[in-house]
Amino acid sequence: MEESIQKMREAIVNYNEVEASEYARQAIEQGIPPIDILGAMTEAIREVGDKFGKGELWLPDLVGAGSAMQAAMPIVEAAIVESGGSRESQGVIVIGTVFGDIHNIGKDMVATLLTAGGFEVHDLGINIPADQFVEAVTKYNADILAMSALLTTTSAEQRRVIKALEDRGIRPKVRVIVGGGAITSGFAQDIGADGYDPTAPGAVKLAKRLIAN
Amino acid sequence: MLKGFTRRFPPLDVLSEEQVHSLHRAILDVLRNTGVRFESERALDDLEQIGCSIDREAKRARFPEYLVEEAVRRTPSSHRVRARDLQNDIVLGGDTVYFRNFPGMQTVDLDTWEPRDPTMQEFNDLITVFDALPNLHAISPYPYYGFDGVPPVMRLLEGIAIEIKNTTKVLIQGNTAEADQFHIEMTKVVGGESILAVYGSAPLTWYDDQLRAVYRALDTDWPMYLLQGTTMGATGPATLAGTVAVNYAELFSILVLIQFNKPGTRVHIASDTYPQNMRSGAPGFGRITGALVKAVENQMSRHYGIPRRDSNPGPLNSKKADFQAGYERGMNALTSALTGSNLISMHSAIYGEITAHPVQAILDDDIAGMIGRFLNGVIVNDDTLALELINEVGPIPGNFLNTAHTREWWHREQFIPKAADELTYPEWFNSGKKDCLEYAREKMQGILANHQVSKPLTGSQEEEIGRILKEARDHYRRQEQISDKEWEAYSTVLRQPDYPFI
Repeated sequence: MEESIQKMREAIVNYNEVEASEYARQAIEQGIPPIDILGAMTEAIREVGDKFGKGELWLPDLVGAGSAMQAAMPIVEAAIVESGGSRESQGVIVIGTVFGDIHNIGKDMVATLLTAGGFEVHDLGINIPADQFVEAVTKYNADILAMSALLTTTSAEQRRVIKALEDRGIRPKVRVIVGGGAITSGFAQDIGADGYDPTAPGAVKLAKRLIAN
Repeated sequence: MLKGFTRRFPPLDVLSEEQVHSLHRAILDVLRNTGVRFESERALDDLEQIGCSIDREAKRARFPEYLVEEAVRRTPSSHRVRARDLQNDIVLGGDTVYFRNFPGMQTVDLDTWEPRDPTMQEFNDLITVFDALPNLHAISPYPYYGFDGVPPVMRLLEGIAIEIKNTTKVLIQGNTAEADQFHIEMTKVVGGESILAVYGSAPLTWYDDQLRAVYRALDTDWPMYLLQGTTMGATGPATLAGTVAVNYAELFSILVLIQFNKPGTRVHIASDTYPQNMRSGAPGFGRITGALVKAVENQMSRHYGIPRRDSNPGPLNSKKADFQAGYERGMNALTSALTGSNLISMHSAIYGEITAHPVQAILDDDIAGMIGRFLNGVIVNDDTLALELINEVGPIPGNFLNTAHTREWWHREQFIPKAADELTYPEWFNSGKKDCLEYAREKMQGILANHQVSKPLTGSQEEEIGRILKEARDHYRRQEQISDKEWEAYSTVLRQPDYPFI
């Protein structure tokens, strides 16, 4: 394996955002096919995810590696688009914390594990208005929209996003999964979501189940 | 005579004087340099006027030291809270120690240990048990998160109406969906007051809905309860000292706003701080680190002279009323009481904030009673030293059983748990090998069959509470916070023959 790829992998598993981006860029400049770079990144994060699953690594390790990978991702994605290629994945997921809510811990954890699970994840961040979710679902042709809300006061925003998807006529095209401290399975059903799971590893299984069906 | 307990010996310190001083400097540093986010123009205006430096774009206020120290000085070091029945008043602060319940959103099946929504009757029963327990002195905003069939936005209010009806103890009330505008009126119907809770969001943020609740609370002149919650390693530093610095900075920032708006406002403070479970991302309930961080905060609050509530014994990791539940609750409650908490939240909660049960509350009342007896300390005088008696009885074959002194003193010196198995082996075999859980279940049946609230509501009080509830329902329906589907289920609840507030 090229040294730059190896170093990028090391940077991801050592939570180093700057070096992960730097070595990703170096790998592109060296002419390594961007799809192979992405493959190495996914492999690195899967390794972290597996160790987390086995109890060898902990949440701060998982989230740290996740953000190192996310830092390098735009560089690699741009190169893929430029080369006329496209990513292969388990499915495309748009994820974010709803408007009025600035909590990111649970959402970051789910995003990282989804990435480790082979999904193409577009993390919009926190405090995301309904329209921005809808635009991202259309832009990325998402299979799944994943929304987080920690607060009881903001959980109702998830209902608003689902309504916005319905108003634009794209609700049937995308599966909606919800999570966060304020959410229960009853609430998820009530707002018309397709799935809910209280844990991050559970969210990955849920996403895989929804894609398979 | 007021109920509750008084610690009759010095509290347990976990910090040296130097460490207290370092933490104090750190708290002031966070307030001065990092500042706190206030998502309210009104609050930012008020803070600017008294001398805070305001960054409007970031909605951040930075606090000079003198404001913080003055706010602490203006806070009463102890205060009385009026209950609906005066004999249930409490005095928070100093060496007093009281117990309250910790919320659980749902009830739990005592055989399968699976959670589910309680019925209205089960909500009633929980409050009746709370009212009957001698060592439970105040009741939280969400004993359960309402009951089955009630839409989320009305759950707090329907619950409060039942609390007002079924107990005369001190009530602590929340403000979800700005429900305080209605429950303050409900409390006024029956006299007394409630403690109004406001919640910060870690790290270092006060949202607009909470700040509006602060201003509404200030209009009442009722006592306030300032709560923030940090998960160590997630919404706060992973270290105990850093967490305490950030917690107190958040609490003191709102204290400044309150004490400069209305000097002398009665407040007690709390931080629901738990170490993060680095596997699941949930708070790590029941851990001893939580007890230690609360011990530090209890000592800091004693240093500042601000009454303090501690929730660490409340949310457990165990899903059952079992050995783990017992050690998590018992150890955390005892350390909390010894280090100077004034109000300890624990009764009834089982897993996290998810489940609660009256049977658990009955078991917890024994823990509270044991701790209360411990806090009461030792009486050393001529009577208790009993030298005359010792001399009279002398060595074997003398004994102390059949003496007036023993008859007078034994029950004053001992605490007898109500639901513990205290049988000898033969008795235990002959009575069906019962454990504390079974005794607590029997005791609950006894309470529900016999207990009467000390001051039942009059017909007109019930009607008036019914009118306020209707106003709230209309308000939330107009705001479309109750969907048609929710309303349908809710209407079924309201049509039940035993629904009292029509």
